[in-house]
Amino acid sequence: MLLNKNKVIVACAGSGKTTGIVEGALKLGKQRVLITTYTNENLDQIKAFFIEKTGCIPANVTVQSWFSFLLQEGVRPYQNQMTERGRVESIFFIENTRDSGKLKEKLRYIPESQDSHYLTEKNYIYNDKVSKFIYNCDKYSKGLISKRLEKIYGSIFIDELQDFAGYDLNLLGMFFNSHINIVAVVDPRQATFSTNTAQKNRQYRKSKIYSWLNGEESKNKIIIEEINDCYRCNQQICDFADKLFPDLPQTVSKNKRLTGHDGIFYISSKKVDAYVSSHNPTILRYSKKTDTLGFCAINIGLSKGRTYDRVLIFPTKPMLEYLKTKELSKAGDKTKLYVAVTRARYSVAFVVD
Amino acid sequence: MTMIKKIFIQNYKIFYRFDLELNVDLNIIVGDNEVGKSTILEGINLALTKRLNGRYAEYELTPYLFNRKCVDAYLKSIKEGNLPQLPEIIIELYFDESTGLESLRGTMNTKKEDCIGIKLEIVFDEDYKEEYEKLLKKRSEIKLIPAELYKVQWYSFANNPITLRSLPVRLSYIDASTIRLQSGADYYLQDIIKTDLDAKERVELNLAYRELKELFSSQESIMGINNKLINKKGAITDKSLSISIDISQKSNWENNLVPYLDDLPFQLIGRGEQSALKIMLALEHKADESNIILIEEPENHLSFSSMNILLEKIENKCKGKQIIIATHSAYVLNKLGLEYLILLRSNNTATLKNLPPDTQNYFKKLSGYDTLRLVLAKKAILVEGPSDELIVKKAYLLKHSKLPIKNGVDVINVRGLSFSRFLDIAKELKTNVVVVTDNDGDYAKKVDEKYKTYKTFKNIKICRSEENSLPTLEPQFVACNNFSVLNEIFGTSYENQESLKKYMEGNKTECALKIFETDKTIMFPKYIEDAIE
Repeated sequence: MLLNKNKVIVACAGSGKTTGIVEGALKLGKQRVLITTYTNENLDQIKAFFIEKTGCIPANVTVQSWFSFLLQEGVRPYQNQMTERGRVESIFFIENTRDSGKLKEKLRYIPESQDSHYLTEKNYIYNDKVSKFIYNCDKYSKGLISKRLEKIYGSIFIDELQDFAGYDLNLLGMFFNSHINIVAVVDPRQATFSTNTAQKNRQYRKSKIYSWLNGEESKNKIIIEEINDCYRCNQQICDFADKLFPDLPQTVSKNKRLTGHDGIFYISSKKVDAYVSSHNPTILRYSKKTDTLGFCAINIGLSKGRTYDRVLIFPTKPMLEYLKTKELSKAGDKTKLYVAVTRARYSVAFVVD
Repeated sequence: MTMIKKIFIQNYKIFYRFDLELNVDLNIIVGDNEVGKSTILEGINLALTKRLNGRYAEYELTPYLFNRKCVDAYLKSIKEGNLPQLPEIIIELYFDESTGLESLRGTMNTKKEDCIGIKLEIVFDEDYKEEYEKLLKKRSEIKLIPAELYKVQWYSFANNPITLRSLPVRLSYIDASTIRLQSGADYYLQDIIKTDLDAKERVELNLAYRELKELFSSQESIMGINNKLINKKGAITDKSLSISIDISQKSNWENNLVPYLDDLPFQLIGRGEQSALKIMLALEHKADESNIILIEEPENHLSFSSMNILLEKIENKCKGKQIIIATHSAYVLNKLGLEYLILLRSNNTATLKNLPPDTQNYFKKLSGYDTLRLVLAKKAILVEGPSDELIVKKAYLLKHSKLPIKNGVDVINVRGLSFSRFLDIAKELKTNVVVVTDNDGDYAKKVDEKYKTYKTFKNIKICRSEENSLPTLEPQFVACNNFSVLNEIFGTSYENQESLKKYMEGNKTECALKIFETDKTIMFPKYIEDAIE
């Protein structure tokens, strides 16, 4: 019988997920621990938390990006069980190529029995095949990869699980079945990236990862904990954000501080100048194509995990539509909007005309 | 604790394909010259440190690192107009499971074995593809491996780059045969000293050294000199010129500080003492950390008594350390224990792990005995004393027109020791051995019965006479030779065989020498003729 050693924490923005991971890892003493996450930004934050807490990253803790971990501990150690090709040097990010659509189309017709299903000519592994390679390699080698990992790590912490997709979920399932304690933190509302765009497990992508997790729980592989306390945003901001995901539990704000300018605001583009100089908000945009009237801004995707006192958001067209009509079906990328709003402690302002 | 369980070498120097299993504690590598004793140590050092001759391997790549056989095959194929794969050098170290260095685990080794380990590969660098193609256009000019187009890869069996953290090994490489001295302490000594210091002490040493250097430039005389130099400004450059000790990162204490022994700088003390000191330092390393100690010919430059002390130290302090010694000294071998022997031969390796414990002990106590001669011989004839030795050699010379040693046959005088001890070794090493022995008046009991356990071994042959009335060499000799011829050879004039025999028995070696030197036709007892077939 499997003990419920694996835990998945479903948490809202601002609930202190990352701090929780760092503290959890420090509690484990000498045990070998891996902390992994998808984005480098989040990785840097985890490292920064450690340095804040203890001055350094303890020797028993490895903080490594998901892809770097997969390459180093998943793909390479038993590569020759799958292919005769030379050492897999690195990962090839399909989306970074000029004609990624065409490449993807071409790759779709290469069967997995061929090395080139996974690898480029120069032995780089396609980013959407990394997890698949590992999953299959573990199967062919009768579990060598999981056995090795069990010997290296006692616990693995995964942050931002909502970014995982495709065969990543199969790998997670494989970890859940191992002796390693898995602690994963997921905010289904914040799925802004996904590690790959493979066809596998499409039904679970982004917010829908929640239903996959429920499935794993019903199989007794994991227990799911919910944290709905938000230490960052005030209640007005929480309420605004919650409305984007009516099916998920409501958030309770623990930030009771009032500043005299609290909650959600709408300002016209003409007043942006004045607003910026009086409130000094952090300016957020969807992408660098967004016109921010010449102000320095941060992409919403990159602002994940950050905390600011106030934000000023240049919304996208669908966002504007939602603000006007409050119809969720028109909101477009809700997760981006959720992330943007929940960065602020005290106030969120939208530029609307 | 990092212990090497197995090593595999491919295309490196003398080794085309070479596998060797190591003991986790002590290993004594013995072999003829040119069978690769030193290359094994060098290879282990290279794979554990990525260093060759004290420098990073990248800077030491030459065509001569490659095995002759693979080079010839490559060149031949090139000449024939083919496009052969460039040879690759591989050195793999398989670690013991108990090391716990799980991050080094994987199947990325030549045997596809799921094992903890590391590998060093010297392979063609694909970045130089163009250069190589250019070279191929003038293929008749390719006479050597283009080593300058190679790179060095250092990975774990998980195919990940090796970091100091992933490979916590203290390696001490002590080569007493050629002590390499750079300025100051030599690299190997620095290393041994450095590994003896903990991180804090190392920082302190570096800081103290830097302070010392800074102090130098604040000296009044130096300041005066510098002031004078500043006035030269403008002659060549507008920048101001001054002198100071180099305090850049590059020059740390290792280059300038020298260890002293009793007020003598290290490089001025005797070579033997230098290497003994290094070995001692390495042996003193804490046993709780991984220690691998490679020692090349510890017997070099050492007096007998110093060596004895050194070997005792090695014996007592080797606990928890893996020591690999290459030696030419039978004394070292006997003293440390024949069971640790790894005999390197051109086509295989052998050990004496199954040697009976009492035989091991026997040679440990009689360490002066030349077991190595037997170990290294292609074929040996064991005899009881110096006179037997001379007679056997003479008989061999007459029959084959060459002294036995010229044919790789070593005639070893066991000097009254028991043949069986030597036969135990020969049995294990499968060395061809012939024993020439007296029958002592009862061949059945005193010879055949005594050596009956060796009878089943094809490589062991016992030669003795069945003539019980002729118990030793001298009566045997008198019986088969013309009495007056012997008188002539010895310059004597005995009147009967009996008195001549007496004379011979009283002057064994002297008579044997005369027989050895004579031009006269002589006959040999049949059992000696049998031995030299």
